[in-house]
Amino acid sequence: MEIREERRDAIFIVAPVGRVDSNTSSALEAVVLAHAREARLLVDLSGIEYISSAGLRVFLMLARRVKEAGGRLVLCGMGASVRQVFDLAGFTALFAVETSVEQSLLRLSP
Amino acid sequence: MTSISLSVSGAAESVRQVARAFDTFSASCGIAGPVAQAVQVALDEILSNTVRSAFAPGQTGRIDVRFEVAQGVLDILIVDDGIPFDPLARAEPDTKAPLEARPVGGLGIHLVKRLMDDVAYQRLEGENRLRLRKKIIGS
Repeated sequence: MEIREERRDAIFIVAPVGRVDSNTSSALEAVVLAHAREARLLVDLSGIEYISSAGLRVFLMLARRVKEAGGRLVLCGMGASVRQVFDLAGFTALFAVETSVEQSLLRLSP
Repeated sequence: MTSISLSVSGAAESVRQVARAFDTFSASCGIAGPVAQAVQVALDEILSNTVRSAFAPGQTGRIDVRFEVAQGVLDILIVDDGIPFDPLARAEPDTKAPLEARPVGGLGIHLVKRLMDDVAYQRLEGENRLRLRKKIIGS
């Protein structure tokens, strides 16, 4: 899977593209967990077609690591399918969720 | 195309093979968007579970998958010759627990039950038979 990475000011942005499933979740895991100690981390999900529980597991680990490290994590750009899976799993309440990158940058601004 | 069948081994790459087969089938039936994505999530959950735990070490394993559309309903039958396993018997995960206590196991089957309209398991003649159904009208 393609995973875009970008630093914008003090905020690190990770943007996976494609399907997050049992086949691709380990690639996503390697990238996002490598940035779990960023003070401000944004994961842009707008390029994700769908996510299965293998991907949810990655986000759960990421949230725990970020919390341990005292950082801040925001997720944005969930499409209908990704949002539905987050909602059904009860994951939406575990994350700071924004609609767009711009909204997220505002939220993560010092 | 109103039905398609494929037979794959119990290896990890079979999960992707089935996903590709459903891409082809769904495109030919006009199943798209959230419905097709919900089915792909359900297939990933079931197939990844099967290749991970249904077969003994050294056993090749066989998984037969059939997609069929009739009267606006997608019918998926997944049959494997692995050890008896009823995925639906698994306890529901706690989806309200705080971050630290949140379980990961069991989430996949929970998603399958919620994303599909009907899920049924049967152990028959030495095989696990899982049937998923999803209305596709309007998709």
